[in-house]
Amino acid sequence: MNSLDPRVNRLPSTRYPVPNEPTAPLDQFGTFEVFVVQPKEEKPFQHEGIVHAPNLEMAYVLAKEAFTRRFVCVSLYVVDTTNVAVSPMTEGDVSIYQQIEDRPGQAGEKLSYEIYHLTKRGKQHVHAGTVQAVNGPDAMVKAKHQFNSGKGICSVWVIRTKDIRFTLPDEKDLWNTLPEKKFRDASAYKGGDKLSMFLQSKQNTSDHSGHSDNADQ
Amino acid sequence: MNDIALKELLYKIADDQLILGHRNSEWTGMGPLLEEDIAFSSMAQDKVGQSLAIYTLLHSLGDGDPDTLAFTRGGNQFQNCVLVELPNGEYDFSLVRHFLFDTAEAIRFDLLSNSSYEPLAQLAKKIRGELRYHTLHANTWIRQLGSSTEESIARIQASLNFSLPFAMGIFEVSPHENELIESGVFAGEKELKQRWLAKVEEIIHQTDLRLPDLNAVEPVLGGRVGKHSEHLQPLLEEMSEVFRIDPTAEW
Repeated sequence: MNSLDPRVNRLPSTRYPVPNEPTAPLDQFGTFEVFVVQPKEEKPFQHEGIVHAPNLEMAYVLAKEAFTRRFVCVSLYVVDTTNVAVSPMTEGDVSIYQQIEDRPGQAGEKLSYEIYHLTKRGKQHVHAGTVQAVNGPDAMVKAKHQFNSGKGICSVWVIRTKDIRFTLPDEKDLWNTLPEKKFRDASAYKGGDKLSMFLQSKQNTSDHSGHSDNADQ
Repeated sequence: MNDIALKELLYKIADDQLILGHRNSEWTGMGPLLEEDIAFSSMAQDKVGQSLAIYTLLHSLGDGDPDTLAFTRGGNQFQNCVLVELPNGEYDFSLVRHFLFDTAEAIRFDLLSNSSYEPLAQLAKKIRGELRYHTLHANTWIRQLGSSTEESIARIQASLNFSLPFAMGIFEVSPHENELIESGVFAGEKELKQRWLAKVEEIIHQTDLRLPDLNAVEPVLGGRVGKHSEHLQPLLEEMSEVFRIDPTAEW
């Protein structure tokens, strides 16, 4: 392989044999959901997107740079996608809580569950509160009674608190970084001015060349 | 304390950051998975940003402006350790280098946060978060790959064995060592190496990896006095290629 990118030409041939057997079609990392608080501490956590990772801890590490690089953030957490219980989605102003039936009280140890609301399609799920419940469906019923404001809530997510990899108190300084980073933003480069100057100078040159483009045809 | 001792310290820190930052940036677009590509590229950018901050300190002490220092010096004027200039190789080596170097760098800046040279102490506090992330990232990968499959353990172990002599070169002592220690600017390479070793052992012990006996390791020295491998000069030429086309261009 010969590339115009010198980095590509430098890539070493691997010291390790390529396996003969093709890898399984679904041999890939699972997904993890990423929730972020920005920019103020009092704001609720909001779902931002997903990362692929081999496990929860790696997901946390990769999510930090993928989702909190370019803006002020105070905290972040991740959870395995398979640990998110998802309600059906409603249309229009119909609240999803109208479709969640009350269930007879269930026996079992109560655990803490986090509740997230989607108030409009296209927006992100936002943390609404915490309930104590015996399982995910039970938590959704509890949420219906505690957090149903009557406004259109088109989808509810439920996550068991202990499945979440939170930012530890002493990890908050992860976002205490060098502030002089204008070079990361396109706005720091005054390309527009330079382009106008370049086009202007080009215009002047062609004005003085004595004939227009039409005359060439 | 004279400026020569201080400047020597600043140059070796800044040059380490710039050269490794440039090396690690070569992974941009080629990382093993998208999320890791983003993370590794971001950390490379952090390192270049940190080197800029230190070249700016050098400028305030009377040396050239940061671009001049970064782009116009020859290889023998660079004081980075040889570890950081080595080609990226495969990702296992890049990760092990990242782990060995960034562990030292985080401890170095932690020590410098108490420096009697106030601008450096302030910078050390400012970049604490970045360094915290870099070590979290490195430690997590080493724990992961150092204890998952036979191949991942073998690869990380081989890279660790290969890298250690170069990593010892991070702690090459300066002729001004005592001066820096006595004036309270920096606690010294010996102190740094001791703390580094304790941290590296702590992480390695959480894996199936084995740390070779460091007494049997012959350190690769010379980087701090401008003696480099054949890999540095081509890197510098590539890095400064655009700058050299028009050094007066405004960005």
